[in-house]
Amino acid sequence: MQEATFLILTALAGGSQHGYAIIGQVAAISEGRVRLRAGTLYTALDRLRADGLIDVDREEVVDNRLRRYYRLTPEGGHRLAAEAARLQANAHAALRRLNPRRLNPGLGVI
Amino acid sequence: MADWSPAGAPYSVSDRASASAQLERGYRRLVRYYPRSFRQQNTEEIIAVLLATARPGQRHPSPAEAADLLRGAARMRLGLSRCPRSVLYAVRLMYLGALAEAAKLACLLLSLGTLRAAARATAIGSLGPHPAPAAVARATAEAGTVVSTDITAEVALSLAAIGCWLFLAWANGRGSPPARGVAVVACAFYTGFSLLVLAKGDLMIDPAVVIAFWTVTAIGIAACVLLLIRQSWPYFDRPVTAR
Repeated sequence: MQEATFLILTALAGGSQHGYAIIGQVAAISEGRVRLRAGTLYTALDRLRADGLIDVDREEVVDNRLRRYYRLTPEGGHRLAAEAARLQANAHAALRRLNPRRLNPGLGVI
Repeated sequence: MADWSPAGAPYSVSDRASASAQLERGYRRLVRYYPRSFRQQNTEEIIAVLLATARPGQRHPSPAEAADLLRGAARMRLGLSRCPRSVLYAVRLMYLGALAEAAKLACLLLSLGTLRAAARATAIGSLGPHPAPAAVARATAEAGTVVSTDITAEVALSLAAIGCWLFLAWANGRGSPPARGVAVVACAFYTGFSLLVLAKGDLMIDPAVVIAFWTVTAIGIAACVLLLIRQSWPYFDRPVTAR
């Protein structure tokens, strides 16, 4: 799963969001590292909808502009959970191996 | 209403309205490149997001925004927005193959002089140590004809190959199962043909031609491997309507 896809699904895991809000959420989750542009976002949303990972929740009109809210489908939730578990396992393995040498450099002194 | 324009560049409300209208027209022009089915569902929404993320007072889409929209439109038009990475890379390799094929053709045409001279030298050399002037003239002419025929065939084949690369890239990007089969068969033939040409040795005079041949062959094999690996299978197994 690409990072942008992972972050979009993560943004939607907290509840349904419209396109502009997803861009903001993704920037917040990634601490400003990933700034999605509209073209990239809608290509990804189109693919995720085709794959059945997200769906349209509702539509609203605000200031004469259409706002479409997207939500995670159960399938999308499962896929995100599986990917998150995989990333967490990898991160744990990396930290466990780094731990004796780098994370606790003073350990040998005690 | 508060005016947030910077000091020294006062924008009136109507200025801002006209800038926004101009910007929206710019965005709409770019969104027009997306496929119709996508536009019907998403145009108003994507325009709203673009306007919401625009800088205050912006009048034109920025080059980065334009590039992002055009890239998205190209990916969707080529059917690449929904395919797995392995297929995406395979299709990119196939477009690269078309480019390499064109470069190979250019190399061949540029080395035409070298090829002619070498063919002439071989023909004259085969006549023995002291050939008659008439025999030399005849051998030179014959060598010239042979090289011209070879080159014409090569150019025709190269042009056909460029067309094949482009068509197969497009069709495989759309997930057509027959296109994948054709790509694999064509790649096998092409590899065989390249080996034959190289074994024949006529064209081995210019190293650039040899390198170009092997580059194109390697690109074809790599693309076929990517199309055949496990990650690509589901994309070619899906019903056409699901794309």
